[in-house]
Amino acid sequence: MKVTVKLIGPLIYEGGFSEKTLELPGPMTAGELSAFVKINRKRPTIITRNGKAIAAGERISEGDRVVISHIYSGG
Amino acid sequence: MKGWTGYILRVNLNDKTWKKESFTEDFAKKWVGGRGFASKILFDELKPGIDPLGPENKLVVALGPIAGIPAPNTGKVVVAAKSPLTGFYGDGNLGSNVSSQLRKAGYDALIVEGKADKPVYLNIEDDKVEFLPADEMWGKGTYFSNEWIYKKHGKNAGVLNIGQAGENKVLFAVIRSLEGRAGGRPGIGAVMGSKMLKAIVVKGTKQIPQADPDLMRKLGIEGLKKAHELDQKSGWSKQSTNAVLAWCNEVNGLPVQNMRKTAHPEAHKIDGERLNDARIATYGCPSCTMHCGITIHDDEGRESELDYENIGMLGPNVNVFDLKKVGSLNYLCDDYGLDTISAGAVLGFYADAIEHGATKGDFKFGDADKAKTLLWDIAARKGEAGSILAEGALKAAKLYGKNSADYAMQVKGLEMAAYNCKSIPGQALAFGVAAIGGHHREAWIITFELKHSKRESYGPEKAAKVIELQRIRGGLFELLPACRFPWVEVGYELENYPKFFNAATGLNWTLSDFWTAADRAYSMIKLHYLREFPNATRKDDYPPAVWFDKANADTDGPQKGVVLEYDKYDSLLQHYYDQRGYDKRGIPTMDTLKKLGLEAEAAEAAKQAELN
Repeated sequence: MKVTVKLIGPLIYEGGFSEKTLELPGPMTAGELSAFVKINRKRPTIITRNGKAIAAGERISEGDRVVISHIYSGG
Repeated sequence: MKGWTGYILRVNLNDKTWKKESFTEDFAKKWVGGRGFASKILFDELKPGIDPLGPENKLVVALGPIAGIPAPNTGKVVVAAKSPLTGFYGDGNLGSNVSSQLRKAGYDALIVEGKADKPVYLNIEDDKVEFLPADEMWGKGTYFSNEWIYKKHGKNAGVLNIGQAGENKVLFAVIRSLEGRAGGRPGIGAVMGSKMLKAIVVKGTKQIPQADPDLMRKLGIEGLKKAHELDQKSGWSKQSTNAVLAWCNEVNGLPVQNMRKTAHPEAHKIDGERLNDARIATYGCPSCTMHCGITIHDDEGRESELDYENIGMLGPNVNVFDLKKVGSLNYLCDDYGLDTISAGAVLGFYADAIEHGATKGDFKFGDADKAKTLLWDIAARKGEAGSILAEGALKAAKLYGKNSADYAMQVKGLEMAAYNCKSIPGQALAFGVAAIGGHHREAWIITFELKHSKRESYGPEKAAKVIELQRIRGGLFELLPACRFPWVEVGYELENYPKFFNAATGLNWTLSDFWTAADRAYSMIKLHYLREFPNATRKDDYPPAVWFDKANADTDGPQKGVVLEYDKYDSLLQHYYDQRGYDKRGIPTMDTLKKLGLEAEAAEAAKQAELN
């Protein structure tokens, strides 16, 4: 299953990339995908799929664009 | 009284006199400092209806009991006056050595009255006040004047200064400090300019009074270390505030083309990664643990210090997606002393107004070179366009007519910061009910809306979140004053701040005491508003009409067709009023005012307008 993952802000340096298309080894939830790209599980994040926020337990589908971000607070 | 110096310095520019005035412990405990001091002083001392740019207006520089003491991000100063942009109380905070120097000179606040007959600057050194000629700085930008002051008074001096925009009374002129910090978005720099006051320079040699200096030192040093560690661990400073640009673009919240659009395919050219790549230096305020100012070389090779708000408004909001060119626009704003958020909003509005036939001109979205010229025209009030745009987006729209006020992106006259909220109702509310007009510093709830609520919800949970954050961001941090970033961005615990406050003052406050003081300051500002606008209505708390206009909805993407809905927004507003104890106009009820100990202020306001 191919998905595009974009990391935001400091997660880029944690995950080691900014945006790339990944071939996943199997079905995954958003939270599992976050761990798969090496984002620390303890770090609070907000995950969006195709522009809409999703919970960590929601399943990712073929072709999704998933954005994982540090939780910003508007400066 | 401990923690506060107990004194205010009052300076009169008419006759070049000054006096040291004491204040009571009751005053200190009721108003704390910063925004609390400023809002109370200006309410008591300004008559409603005065010209904000006349000599009767007063400039207040206000500090508080932990200001200037080494502890996380305490190098902040609140500047306030009756705003020429909004017509009522306006304030802002900025990082400055004035925070420690004015306290060391023996004062918790400075009040500047009257108007000089020729350009002057104030030089305050402990108990000495000098009114010195500013001719060599007048007409010059903030970089020149700051450097001029440093050469004459040393780099440790606390400095507040204005550029040409303040001198020419541009209604969104700011006050600058440390060659990179700015504050007072609602034209507080114009008030300073109207007084022919180019700069304030402060040096002090006294000890800042503290109830328990040893404990304060211990807590402060531990706090500085902890807050810095949290930043380093989180990696926040890699991109600073501008990391949010890429996220806003992904979730359709970016201000593009005068907030007509919510995302742009070229946004990646100006995002946090590009900013970090282009970084040549990093700057922060005094006692800062997480420097937010990232400096790059601009299009002309000058050093320009950027963060998200100025990139968002001078970049995508005017369709400029070249980081160096955004840097140039930012540099010019900083040098002229223009607020970058309002400048970007005004430029975007002008291009939009031309496109929609409300006025004529040769400026188009994306024309960074013309934007540079326009910024000078605005700062100098040169030509018809410059003179009109110097009044801010709302006043310009009223002059242009043709429904252009619908897309002047402001609330109560103050241009909104870089978040496009036509499909984000809670943040639209946060702009609508911000104390001084469309500001983002008091409540920012977008990630809450997406992660812990539903984006499309107009429910009471969003009003509650706005109030919670107003109490923290617009209350606690504006009263102390201190920078909110360690708490808001990297999780430095809020409970530390009462500990600092108690070590400094010897009191035993909890966060709950600060929420009461915060509510009092918010109600005080509301009474300012009512006194100036006796016919105030709830419509004053609405964002611009274009956010409700289906014709302005996204035409593709996940928010396609979505805009704010009037009925639902109004119900969200009512949730906010109900939870705040405000009436249907958005004004605190008598019951609320009594609970906050504001009976005398209510009686004063009632001379101009009815209270319920």
